[in-house]
Amino acid sequence: MAVTRCTKMAYASADDMVFGKAVTPVKTGLELEIGAGYTTPEVNYAPRPEAGASKEKLIKEYERITTDIMARMVQIGAPAVVLETEHVQQMSNHPDWGAAVAHAQKTIMEDYHDEYGIKCALRHTIGDIRETRDFLALRGDKYSVFMEAFEQCAQNGADMLAVESMGGKEVFDYAILRNDMAGVLYGIGVLGSIDMEMIWQDIASVAKKNNVIASGDTDCAQANTAMFIAGGLLDKNLAHTLAIIARTISAARSLVAYEAGAAGPGKDCGYENTIVKSIAGVPIAQEGKTSTCAHSDLMGNIVMQCCDLWSNESVEYHGEFGGTTVQCWGETLAYDCALMNVALDSGNEKILRDMFVASDIYRDAQGYVLAYPNAYRVGQAIATDGNDIYLRAKNAAIECINIVEEGAKGKLELSRFEAKALADAKAAFEALTDDKEKFMSDCLTKYKQEVKVFKPENYDL
Amino acid sequence: MEVRHLIDIDPSGILVRYNVKMEKEMTPEEAAEELYPKDSIIYPIAKAIFEGEEDDVVEGLEKAISSGKDPISLIDDALMVGMGVVTKLYDEGIIFLPNVMMSADAMLEGIEYVKQKAGRAPVVKGKVVCHVAEGDVHDIGKNIVAALLRANGYDVVDLGRDVPVDEVIAAVEKENPLMLTGTALMTTTMYAFKEVNDKLLEKGYKIPFACGGGAVNQDFVSQYELGVYGEEAADAPKIADFIREHGGNIVKLREKFHKH
Repeated sequence: MAVTRCTKMAYASADDMVFGKAVTPVKTGLELEIGAGYTTPEVNYAPRPEAGASKEKLIKEYERITTDIMARMVQIGAPAVVLETEHVQQMSNHPDWGAAVAHAQKTIMEDYHDEYGIKCALRHTIGDIRETRDFLALRGDKYSVFMEAFEQCAQNGADMLAVESMGGKEVFDYAILRNDMAGVLYGIGVLGSIDMEMIWQDIASVAKKNNVIASGDTDCAQANTAMFIAGGLLDKNLAHTLAIIARTISAARSLVAYEAGAAGPGKDCGYENTIVKSIAGVPIAQEGKTSTCAHSDLMGNIVMQCCDLWSNESVEYHGEFGGTTVQCWGETLAYDCALMNVALDSGNEKILRDMFVASDIYRDAQGYVLAYPNAYRVGQAIATDGNDIYLRAKNAAIECINIVEEGAKGKLELSRFEAKALADAKAAFEALTDDKEKFMSDCLTKYKQEVKVFKPENYDL
Repeated sequence: MEVRHLIDIDPSGILVRYNVKMEKEMTPEEAAEELYPKDSIIYPIAKAIFEGEEDDVVEGLEKAISSGKDPISLIDDALMVGMGVVTKLYDEGIIFLPNVMMSADAMLEGIEYVKQKAGRAPVVKGKVVCHVAEGDVHDIGKNIVAALLRANGYDVVDLGRDVPVDEVIAAVEKENPLMLTGTALMTTTMYAFKEVNDKLLEKGYKIPFACGGGAVNQDFVSQYELGVYGEEAADAPKIADFIREHGGNIVKLREKFHKH
């Protein structure tokens, strides 16, 4: 598949963006449409620790999970649901395991669809297994196993293929713990984009061949790592202003999947997805207040603003008073979607969208930048130099800094520490060259020396 | 100009920015200045550690050695003093983790330099074996734990990531550490901790096994006999210090470090 760079915005204005509607909706699964005028819950889960002991145990666990979710959706009258199976490493390392799980799940979903007419689709997110104990091995022997996992899942029931790819993480991990902005830009924006360009052309080909949807990637391994380390208001591990810079750079990276043939929906944990939607027009999944089972963040409501699927990120499967965890969280998601869908049907979607935004926008610099009018601005900065993976990522970071600075002159309060980290980052980005080749060459030399696990051959460098 | 949003709100009624409210009056540099040793030879080394300036650390050590200081003694008397300033201000919430990581890098560079000068290895506070669970390649948490332990004067045997259970056991047998740490991101990989625990017990090793990361929670860690849950990476050196002071009694460690 060819790569077609995004150099224009999919939306004429930020205000055109809303939840439940995308410029290019996606038809998938059993009568489901995503981004076609309604939102749908996407339930995500992890098996219990002991379930990974054998293939049979894992299949049984996913059968229980799938049945529980479908049964609860029918019990509460939810019109549609998406199930996302994020592979545990055993399933991607043994493609036949993942395929067997997909087949078992889809069989149950088909039964529910036949009996009740519930619209549904199954997303399988393959684990990025391209690592040895010591190094990322993005282009080595494991690549064929990685691609085989996509192929077998596509052949056995998965309607959508996704991944959270790891390209660039070795440099990013080193850089983010040292406030090294050039390293963050190089890891996410350049190395990550190079890797995604390779894998997403192949994933899109697999999807096309099997008549399923190549859905998307997130920068979970990097931007979410930054968000997780940054933590809450009182945590002292990373400035939130740096976490949002990493996030905006990640939008330039996550966009590559769509440039290489993916159609969406983007994955739930990609908090950069509002930016990506503004450029690519694809539907997106998001998570926020309904992913507190998996992690805490400062953007519980605001990320609902433009979602097409609404997800709980991941919950370990076990019992609660209200049923199993997947039933409880699935039900919560479904009620959130019902509210959004009423807003859409009654023409009140922009009011609800703006209430989601207003409730969180001043909570933190991260939410402030991801508020759709600001996210749109970051999108424009990326599209302006859409043909240059370095410049567009740098543009995103600089526009992010501009937006936070503007916010800090208004109602967005920054701690002195966050403000200083932002000022230091600004100086770092302003000192960077506009010449991609020079940046690449300088970084190659520096990080080969400083990051022992960085292997340039992973990126064909 | 701030973007005008469709609904204009007064955020003060919706949220409290506790981090802004709680921020200390003193800048990190001012706070550090109060803690540096006054000795004119030691001061620049401690300051260079705080600032994470590796070249300045080595330059300060060169001058100290030229003035007659014993190289190895400079580890405790200068490098660890500087690192003490860093960890104190980190614990107090005045500086952030990247500052600690950069200072730790500078300190390790300094230790390498004095080892070369002295031609022998320094005495350390104790040995800790660190690993990421079998099947799991996510190691940023383990790297933070290892850096913080080293910054606090511990000798870290870093087994890396995706470490087979038997390799963990072999390392404990070989190194005789005061504690073992394990990190994991996924629910299915953290099950390896229980296997490590069971094999250690089989072989009669009753050392504390500090676990944390991603999906790991206190309930899970409490299920196996040697498990001590660390909610944050910064708990690792505190657990190690507690073991040095009070021994490796798991019940006492859980009383101290289990928070829920």
